[in-house]
Amino acid sequence: MFGYHGTCLRIDASLARAEHVPLTEAILRQFIGGGGLGVRLLLNEESARLDPLAPEAPIVFAFSPLVGSPLTTSAKFAVVSKSPLTQRINDSLVSSGFAIAGKGCGCDAIIVVGRAPELSVLVIDGDYGDQDSIRLESAEEYRGASCQETEMALKARLGANYRIASIGVAGENRVRYATISHDGRHAGRGGSGAVLGAKNIKAIAIRGHRRTDWAHPQELTELSKALSRRSFGPATAKYRELGTAANLLTFNRFGALPTRNFQSGTFADAANISPEELSATRSKTRKSCMACTIGCEHIYGSSTGGVRVEYESLFAMGSLCGVGDAETVLHASQRCDELGIDTISAGGTIAFAMECVERGWLDEPWLRFGSRDALLRAIDLIGSRSGLGDLLAEGSRRAAIAIGHDSISIAPQVKGLEIPGYEPRALQTMALGFAVGARGADHNRSGAYEVDFSDKVDRRRVTLDAVRLAIETEDKAALMDSLILCKFLRGVLTDFYSEAADILRNVTGWDVSSDELHEAARRIVSAKRDFNVLAGWTLAEDTLPERFLNTPLPDDPRASLSPERLHALVAEYHRQRGWDAAPQPAG
Amino acid sequence: MRVEFFGVSRQRAGISQLEIEAETLGQVLEALAHRIPSLREFIEVDRLHPSLTASLNGDSFVSDPQTRLSKNDCVFILSADAGG
Repeated sequence: MFGYHGTCLRIDASLARAEHVPLTEAILRQFIGGGGLGVRLLLNEESARLDPLAPEAPIVFAFSPLVGSPLTTSAKFAVVSKSPLTQRINDSLVSSGFAIAGKGCGCDAIIVVGRAPELSVLVIDGDYGDQDSIRLESAEEYRGASCQETEMALKARLGANYRIASIGVAGENRVRYATISHDGRHAGRGGSGAVLGAKNIKAIAIRGHRRTDWAHPQELTELSKALSRRSFGPATAKYRELGTAANLLTFNRFGALPTRNFQSGTFADAANISPEELSATRSKTRKSCMACTIGCEHIYGSSTGGVRVEYESLFAMGSLCGVGDAETVLHASQRCDELGIDTISAGGTIAFAMECVERGWLDEPWLRFGSRDALLRAIDLIGSRSGLGDLLAEGSRRAAIAIGHDSISIAPQVKGLEIPGYEPRALQTMALGFAVGARGADHNRSGAYEVDFSDKVDRRRVTLDAVRLAIETEDKAALMDSLILCKFLRGVLTDFYSEAADILRNVTGWDVSSDELHEAARRIVSAKRDFNVLAGWTLAEDTLPERFLNTPLPDDPRASLSPERLHALVAEYHRQRGWDAAPQPAG
Repeated sequence: MRVEFFGVSRQRAGISQLEIEAETLGQVLEALAHRIPSLREFIEVDRLHPSLTASLNGDSFVSDPQTRLSKNDCVFILSADAGG
């Protein structure tokens, strides 16, 4: 087999034992890798009904056929499990060297089940070459350490050729939106860090150098060179020059920048925290993931060191909490990285609590919109699950249920996952994407915002015509996340399915067509739904909080989305997907 | 009429906005290419490169060079990719 090893490594952390489980070519061709392969393996594990924090619940690290190839942006892996935040499927993608080292262990995915007897490092030595290559080492000395400290200490202890994925304090404390960190990047959404923490695994240290062969190496090299050349062009200029943070002032001008827990779509202090302002007033360096030619990471100087800045962190720590002080936003973002917390869910949950205080539903008078001290204090409380942090560590949906009143109507979440920085009333194709997202409100699995920022729809009054377009972005994302290629290449791949088929043909030797890949994308989206149905999904979940359905944006009355319109869009989405609106879970 | 720049176009232009006299979108883009050479990479005669897009007053997105504009209109030039 080309591009694959044809096996996954299944590790029981309770016993520190591993077995290689064969993966058939048929399964690999149907689900490809990454998010697709991960969900297929989870379904095989019959894990949909398990408590994701139970020892027997699996977590999958899935690689892809492209990992290790010369293709730009291909050094990525997917972390797939049931989410402790949503109780639905969760797949998060992250770069970079861990993917190459993991696949270098001679497998296409790693499944971890069980619970280590004490806080441990799971060491996978792919260069050793037999069963003894898997071992648990105590990680008690790293208890309470940040993700970055753990990674550095383990490299010093085990060797620089190990690649480390670790959790911070938040993962140890099972914060429901804890991340898994690697090389400063995070499998950010949905709480995979809590799943690993529940297994008593502080970190996975991995090394391996086993390569797969490519079916057509010369053609693949030429194709890779051409793709790299194209990736230097205007289509990726946004990411090179300002990064994702370039969205901030644009969204603010369009009234689509979520502010003060979605009470507004514009933020008066947006300019203060914009990348344009940060670039003008602070030192800046750029960084790339391994095997990437785009270099989207912009790291700005602050009083607490260099901070990687992404749009989602700026919005979540900034406008959403009403904080317009750049130093505070950078510090808060950095603190989330250290603790291993998803900035979007942290910001969403804190902003929600701030509004509850404002409404008199929560007696925590220090927690005010715009307060830098409150933001930083709340983040630390969440990481340690101290005081109010224990409630906020549960996410906004569970917090709302505990707070009561009508707070669930303003909890900024879908299926329990906090809404990213796209105001749904101002971007209504995205509103549909959020409502139907398998892992909840999600801008990575649905690119429906692309439709809103085009001449194909009226973004504030979308019709059923938008549904097909939203589905197209979801299918495309499913394939990109399974191949895996970075979505920032979207504008470079002008004929996506055809070019993806070309890539996969040269890697695997399969006579794969663009139609087959489109079918695979739809299959992967459906597999996520199958998992959710088994986990108890109902149609009532495919909606938005009441705030978005009964209140127009105060500063843009045209940005109004009625429940009837959203429900019609959702119904049409299900019809076009060919899904039964009231499925009966098997068994 | 006013042109406002966002993201890469603002970085390249070095300004956030400017006033232009034009009757169509195509004329706006031709004028921009002439006045701001650093934007030429993104303007193909009277059309934007696909990596950028234009919005009319934030209400609609326009690409046809013949799109008529009035003096009170505002054209936003922004990245076509809103990924974050």
